[in-house]
This record gives sequence, structure tokens and C-alpha cells, in this order.
Amino acid sequence: MHSRLDDLRITTHELDTITGLDISDVFMGRAVRPSVFRTPPRLLSFVVSEIMTLGLIVIFCLPASLVIAKSIPGFTDSAANTIQFLQISVGISLGIFAVWNGYLWFCSNALKTLAHLLEDVDKHNEIIDALQVLDELTAVRNSTTQLDAESTFSLDDRIGVLQALGATHESLVSGLMTERVLRKHQRSLARRHDLFTNIETNLATLQSLQLNHAANDYGHLLNDALQIGMSVRREIEQLK
Amino acid sequence: MNHFAVMLTLLRDRPTFLDEIRRNIKIERKSFSLLVSSCLFFAIYGAIIGSSSSWLQAISSAIKLPALYLITLVICLPTLFFFDILFSSKLGLGQYFVLLLTTMSTISVLLFSFAPITLFFLISIHDYGFFLLLNVAIFALTGFVGVRLFYNGMQQISNHGQSLKPALSEPIPSAETTAMLDAPTERAAKRPIMATDADLPVERVAVAKKDDLYATRVRLLKFWLVLYALVGSQLGWTLRPFFGAPGETFQLFRAIEGNFYSTVFRTLWTLLGFN
Repeated sequence: MHSRLDDLRITTHELDTITGLDISDVFMGRAVRPSVFRTPPRLLSFVVSEIMTLGLIVIFCLPASLVIAKSIPGFTDSAANTIQFLQISVGISLGIFAVWNGYLWFCSNALKTLAHLLEDVDKHNEIIDALQVLDELTAVRNSTTQLDAESTFSLDDRIGVLQALGATHESLVSGLMTERVLRKHQRSLARRHDLFTNIETNLATLQSLQLNHAANDYGHLLNDALQIGMSVRREIEQLK
Repeated sequence: MNHFAVMLTLLRDRPTFLDEIRRNIKIERKSFSLLVSSCLFFAIYGAIIGSSSSWLQAISSAIKLPALYLITLVICLPTLFFFDILFSSKLGLGQYFVLLLTTMSTISVLLFSFAPITLFFLISIHDYGFFLLLNVAIFALTGFVGVRLFYNGMQQISNHGQSLKPALSEPIPSAETTAMLDAPTERAAKRPIMATDADLPVERVAVAKKDDLYATRVRLLKFWLVLYALVGSQLGWTLRPFFGAPGETFQLFRAIEGNFYSTVFRTLWTLLGFN
């Protein structure tokens, strides 16, 4: 059961392959993921990364400026000169740091659609996590009580959720591929059309599953999957 | 913490790491992680050697030591890159940068591993000359090991794709074979026996040419390594003081006088009692 769920999970390795970028919790390629500013642990990682970047820039700029300054006639080891040198070097370092962050912001703007799709991927993986927890709880309940009509009913629902997650998985992969196609090859219209049709079909499947299972325990998971499917379609429509 | 995991992967499974660089896998993440972890190790070692003088010197050396290796890398990178692509290298600038960072990281880890020993001598022996020479020896040793591993790594990467090489059971002098392509008639006259040029398999000629290029690149690499050592030592001399002479106040920099090699030789001479 768990291996089927693991198959549905979209791993970081898969994301790297599909998007052609290095995807992590904080970055997508060189761009910063917008979700960083809504999740405290990710924000902390980002801040640490920024401090490290600033440190590296200072480590490079300060001694490099020193080598240049030493060759300037009249530059001595006096306190006034040293303070002035430090002020200029730190100023240059901060300037480079600001330019670097501007570049990151520019990259993030260019990858807005991908950022939204990655958020959907996170939600999809969260649903799988929730389902795994639900499975474990069901296993515990079944071990303590006899199998009855209720548990048989939940098994049917589980199949429905798995179907929905399968469709979401396909939609997300198609969405990510479409985004990559459009990002890298703007003229590949035929491929884009195929991928978009695939997303539409999966969305229809999700909607029918949602109608069938709306009233039971798995209803909210199906609803989440449907939301992801609709979000993928919305993003791709914007790209069209 | 992930940055150190990248460093550990490099130390534990170097061939795989180099293969990933060759295939351009996660180059940017590798660069940043290696930069962060190696700079931290250098900074720690720099702080230790600087603390032999004063806390200001410790801070100064903690910044200067990582910069010494980083700036040397940046200065020498274009030479390596452009000379190598001139002789058919397929790697990009980013890949060369990470390759050089692997050297820097190896040296930083080795220096870090020497830190307790340096600290022990710093506490137990109050002799500036000895401490200076001990560190020169440590820097030389770690530098040699790092550069040696880089040399092997470059050969591993350059050798990749030469799978046709073992198929050649008979030795063919590569320079001669290449020349045969350019002047077949003249060469054929000088060759008394063996097959005609038409019989020479195209693959063999291609491999021989590749071997020639490879040999040239290895020669260039050796030349570049000498250049790297020269730039590194001169930059170290320009950025001094790293230790801070006893009895002197803190100096951010010193005037350029003499050179690295003459000073090391003079210190060794004095330590051996010849002065």
C-alpha cells in the first residue's frame, strides 16, 4: 500500500528532472520560492543562506580591495586610512549583495508560474502524507476491532482517493512539463496542446470523483486534490 | 547543514562527485556548499594562527585565509578554462569552478584536521620562527595533497570518453599517426612495412588524435599547477600578516618587501642557528 503511495509522491529528484532546475525547499534554480516567506523554517533557511552569501562576498571583497589599495600611492597603515578602507570595502560588499538580491528577485519574477505549481506539488505531497497517517490509524483500528462494514466502506474510499491522487500527479507533471516547454521553447505549440488536453482530462476525472465521495471521511482529501488540479489548470491557462 | 553533506560526499565518494560535475549535475548547489564549508574551515584555521598574536589578528586572519585561496582560484580559473577548451575540453566555466573548489575544499578540510596540532604547538611552544615554519610545512603538505587530488580528478574527467583506447592492442606512435593524416605520401615512403593508409582504421586515427590532445592537456595542467602555486604564494605574501610578529601592534597589512621564498629560507636559516 505504501509503495503505491510512494509512487504517487513527486520527489525532489523528479522535480529536478522535469523542470530542468535545481529545486529545493528555498530555491528553484537561482530564484527564491515565494512560499519561503510564508513558512518559518524555510524563511530561516533563506536567512541563513543570505548571511552566508554576505559573508562570502565580504571574505572575497575585503582582501581583494586590500590588494588593490596597497598598490595606491599614499595609502598607509594609519588608523584614518584603515577606517576609510574598511568603510569603502564593506560598502562595495553591501552593494554587490544588493545587486545579487536584485538578480534573485528578477529570476523569481520570471518563474512565477513554476512557483505556483511547486506549491501545488507541496500540497499534493502533504495529502499523501495525510493518507499515510490515515492508513496507519486504520491499521491500528482494524487490529483492535473486527473488520466490519464501516472499514470495508473506507477501503472503497481509499481507492477513490488513490485514483484522485493519480490524476493530480499526472496533472502536476503535465503542468510542470508545459511550463518547462514554454519557458525553454516558446514555439513548441503542438506539445503544449497535448499536455493541456491531458490536464483537462485529469481535471474532469477529479471532479467526478469529488461528486461521488463528497460526503465521507476522504471527502476533504479529494477536495484538496481537486483544488490542486484546478490550480494547475489556472496556471497553464495563464501561460496560454 | 546540507553544505557539509556535500563536502562529505566529496570526501567519501570522490569519483562519483567528479562524475556528477562532468555531467553538470547540481553544479550551483555544489559550488555554494563547497564555498561555504571550505571558507568556514579556512576561517577557523586562520583564527587559530592569528590568535598567536592578538584577537584582532585572529579576526583578520579568519577573513584573509579563505580569501587567499578564493582569490587565487579566481585569478587562475580563466587560464585553466581557456587553455583547456582550446584543446577540446567540453566542460563549462562553472564546472571548472567547482573542480577547483574541490581542491580548495580538500585543502580546507586537511588544514582543519591539523588545527588541534597547530593549537597544541601554539599553546606549548612560544617560538615565532618555529610556529611560522610549522605552518608553512602544514600549508605546503595540505596544498600538495589537494593539488595532487585535483590533478588525478582532472585526469579522470579528461580520460572519460576515451573508451576506444583499450581496443588498441598494437601501439601506434600518436604523433606519427597524426602526421600521416596530413602528409600520407611522404610518410608512406618512409614506412617500409605494414598496411597502407587506406587500411588504417579511422577509429585508430581518431583515438591517436585524441591521445595527442589529452597529452597536451596534461602538460598544460602541470604548467597551470605551477602557476597556481606561484600565484597562491605571492598572494599570501601580499595579504600578510597572517600570524602577527611578536611584540608588534596589530597591522591590517604590511608594505610589500622581499618575497615569500627568501623569507622562508631566511627563517629556516635562523632557526637552524646559522645566523
